[in-house]
Amino acid sequence: MSELDRERREMVAVLQRPGVHPDRSLRITRRTFIHRSCLTGAATVAQTFAWWPLLNTIDVAYAAEPPFKFAWVSDTHLYPKSVNTRFVEKVQRAAREVQAMNPPADFMIFGGDLAQLGRANELELGVELLNEVKIRKVFIPGEHDWYYDMGAKWKQLFDKPNWTFDHKGVRFVGLDTVTRGPDYWTVRKMSPEERMDHMATLDGSVAGPWAGVGRDQLDWVQKTLADWDKARPVVIFSHNPLYEYYPPWNFWVRDWREVNEVLKPYTNVTNIHGHVHQVLYNEIGSLRSIGMLATAWPWPYAPEGVPKLTKPMIRADPGDFYDGVGWSNISMKNDRIENEYIMWGRKEVFVQSPPDSSLSQPEILRPRIADQLGPY
Amino acid sequence: MKTRTTLLFTLGMAAIAVLVGPASANKDPVTPQQLKAYDEVFMEQVRIGDLLFHGDAATAKKMNVVLTTTAMACAMCHPFASDTHPQAFPKYQVSMNKFATLRDMINWCIEKPNQGEKIDSDSDAMKALEAYIYWSNTGSVLVPGKY
Repeated sequence: MSELDRERREMVAVLQRPGVHPDRSLRITRRTFIHRSCLTGAATVAQTFAWWPLLNTIDVAYAAEPPFKFAWVSDTHLYPKSVNTRFVEKVQRAAREVQAMNPPADFMIFGGDLAQLGRANELELGVELLNEVKIRKVFIPGEHDWYYDMGAKWKQLFDKPNWTFDHKGVRFVGLDTVTRGPDYWTVRKMSPEERMDHMATLDGSVAGPWAGVGRDQLDWVQKTLADWDKARPVVIFSHNPLYEYYPPWNFWVRDWREVNEVLKPYTNVTNIHGHVHQVLYNEIGSLRSIGMLATAWPWPYAPEGVPKLTKPMIRADPGDFYDGVGWSNISMKNDRIENEYIMWGRKEVFVQSPPDSSLSQPEILRPRIADQLGPY
Repeated sequence: MKTRTTLLFTLGMAAIAVLVGPASANKDPVTPQQLKAYDEVFMEQVRIGDLLFHGDAATAKKMNVVLTTTAMACAMCHPFASDTHPQAFPKYQVSMNKFATLRDMINWCIEKPNQGEKIDSDSDAMKALEAYIYWSNTGSVLVPGKY
């Protein structure tokens, strides 16, 4: 059994005991009904559609509180304008659309990877483009933002990488899952550019298991939630998913066991995360997770480990730069969160039949070899 | 009688051929050293392809190819060469509206998303990219023609 297999089995054995799941408050909304009716003809096509209470509608809000909306934008991967204007245009479009939300969003969360190579001019460009969004904005870092200058510019622009606030009956927590990577650069005497290049390669073999929350931050989370009613909603924003999906691409946090231990007493926790550039849904213990789209480009699903609860997104057309990407419009109303993926260029976000899904063609993949540096 | 003689003669010749082998049979079994050498030739191409695929500027320059002008690299959409599906080629490729090979597809990606310069279909760079993509998908089942 591979290490990956072993770990995944452990995750299921430890956390998916009978009866352990997030607060059962899913309901099918109008949007999902419409979606479902389109699918009746395809209902027989295998496990893709086996799980019905869809990810669109997730109950978390506190009943007595007024409804509100917020927007998620992430993974813009900006290069300087002189290098690539395509990513710039997509951020402009997202910013325009977020600002045009009606009723307006109460705030916008930016979920990390504003820059591609962590340069000051990339981060500044991001700030400039997002100035179009006049509502409150909160930021968490992605690995692309951090490893050129170890977060110096990012902190100057956005202050702390983790934070919390309460809003209309929901406790929001911004988590930093990127800054505690193992030091692969000092011994090898890497320049900041080299360090960043390794970190910026999703399938690289040098940066290692960099995604993690860290004991110190977990203690902070524990303290932050200590005075919070265990049945009331908590929304945790993070760059990486808080469970194990595909470690070779850091589609995980390495300390997911400890994260789950801290969150265990809370029955209504929703993690909204970036990094994966794809539609994802999962439940681990009492924690549910939703994966968000990038604006820059979509990642294909990993060759293994896609959560069974995920209803996959449509296979993107690489000839259309606005396909498979976008942002999310998230509303909280009458006790529920409704996540609407705004995927540009698509009416249907989810696969309608197996050929629409990249998962319909199984693939066996090998890790790369050309960047291997050997042991320390 | 004549038929029987011919038959015996034929069988005799066949037996000799089987026992002795062809007159020019001077080849030796493959040696571990040879296997290693063959593998090294292949893996060197995989390594070069890996570098090109991951946007290594020095390798592209050395091979005199411009695979991108947008700072996009192949691996940005295809980590581990995922979703390249080399096992499905040749096939009708929707994005090109034609019956296409993997090499056609590589060039399409270079020209469209990456906005680079198309490379010669038999060039060293193309063969290296192809080697890396196939190697990375080792073990995937051949399904030529699949959408």
